[in-house]
Amino acid sequence: MQLNIFQQQPHAVLPIGEHDDRVRQEFSKSFRQYIQNELLPGLTPVFEGRASRKFENENGHPPTDRHEIRKAMVPDVYFQTYASATRIAQEMLWESVIMPLQKDLPELTDKAAALSDQSNSPLETDSDFSVPRYISELDIHCMPGGYATSHAENDIAAGALYDRGVYLYSMGFMGPDNDDMGQSVCNYIKRNLPEFFPQYILDLGCTIGHSTLPYKKEFPDADVTGIDVAAPCIRYAHARAAAMGHDVGFLQRNAENTGFEDGSFDLIVSHILLHETSGKAMPKIFEECYRLLKPGGYMIHADLPPFEKMGPFMQFILDNETYYNNEPFWGAMRTMDQIQLATDAGFDPDSVRFDTAPMAVMELSAEDQAELEDREFVAGEYAPGGGWEVLIARKDP
Amino acid sequence: MSDSFQEDGPIPELRRHAKGKRPGFYETEGMDEAMSMIMVLASEFCVLRDRVDTIEHIARIKGVDLAKEIESFEPDLAILEEREKRRQGFLERLYYVTQKKAAEQSSNDTEERYHEVLKDIAET
Repeated sequence: MQLNIFQQQPHAVLPIGEHDDRVRQEFSKSFRQYIQNELLPGLTPVFEGRASRKFENENGHPPTDRHEIRKAMVPDVYFQTYASATRIAQEMLWESVIMPLQKDLPELTDKAAALSDQSNSPLETDSDFSVPRYISELDIHCMPGGYATSHAENDIAAGALYDRGVYLYSMGFMGPDNDDMGQSVCNYIKRNLPEFFPQYILDLGCTIGHSTLPYKKEFPDADVTGIDVAAPCIRYAHARAAAMGHDVGFLQRNAENTGFEDGSFDLIVSHILLHETSGKAMPKIFEECYRLLKPGGYMIHADLPPFEKMGPFMQFILDNETYYNNEPFWGAMRTMDQIQLATDAGFDPDSVRFDTAPMAVMELSAEDQAELEDREFVAGEYAPGGGWEVLIARKDP
Repeated sequence: MSDSFQEDGPIPELRRHAKGKRPGFYETEGMDEAMSMIMVLASEFCVLRDRVDTIEHIARIKGVDLAKEIESFEPDLAILEEREKRRQGFLERLYYVTQKKAAEQSSNDTEERYHEVLKDIAET
């Protein structure tokens, strides 16, 4: 058995708690790993056997799309156990971090404020800021309080909770600094756009800046800014960047309407942002990217692959997040025509494409990378096929 | 929104529940609660086991001021592997029935076959 002992790199404001807190957190990670490796594969024979047969007996035809597969699977006790375990693991994951965070919050808040004071980069939050409904209506991925609940003007609790939660949810596959998505897109840029050296970089929906910092490492002379609608995440991001020795600005702004001037950036990126927005927000975000880019600038969104890139059974598996993990736009986002949205926003259709950025933590030889990109989506892997799906578009030079 | 909570005012109580109706998974009333309780107990069992593990390792290596040592103890990669292996093994035992049923699906080991065997054994 391949054992996963990935560990997160501690830093000054990470809520890891004491010994028993840490092993309780490790249990939630182990539980998730077990579900993915050992329970999830059993769904296939259950579906192909009894669940599909039962559906066919009752409906006169076998299930064809993800909605019918869902109807066939929901009454099956194996699926019920799988889905219930996944939900419980998610609840235990957050609880295992909230316990030490509750205790350490005053100390962590003080540390964060001190770190932010030392930073040369801007930190901007606005107490009158209006958080969009797609963030405030449900606590996304069941994180109690969600991204944006702020208890005080210096509160960093949601950011701290998310930082540890990302490591546990991803089972460490985001790397020791949770930065694999940003690092993977940086590697993609280096490999595919070797002449491109952006001076002004914007990361949309940056939360705690874990995907933002790789751009500063890759392009140290660039001016890098992260924006997000959640004030406690922005504050935490600013302190975390300072703790790690990076000058990156963090501002509380909405990606639909950022307030920056036209043509302010050479590169605009986002990482698992789009699936946490909405049907009306997504086109606005694409339009805003087009407006903000300088001529010749690039927009790159790293998110989940569209449903059309996989079979109906895999669509059904992934769509469980929509129903069981408070991810209201997870499924619907995957049915949107993003190429068309980018074209409608003004990008030249010839410049818009989907591609795969191999996961930085999985980077092996060039041959292995080529193999990764050609692979079918495999259930149980944290990222589809060991790579992140990127939508890339260039504004006319 | 209140002011900075370090200097003035109590530490806020963090929320423990996520906003958004929790889906039910099982048809049997109470089963969702029972499953959650079982897994929380399982987690605490693992926490305890991991703590004992830490104590044993420290006692073996040093044998001084265990409580203090436990808090500063950082498991090495070999210990992390050992723990991860034990947790995966524990989960395997916990999901014994689920895995048994999955195996039955794969090998077509059905209730009908069971009763056929009963009948067959009685008659032959």
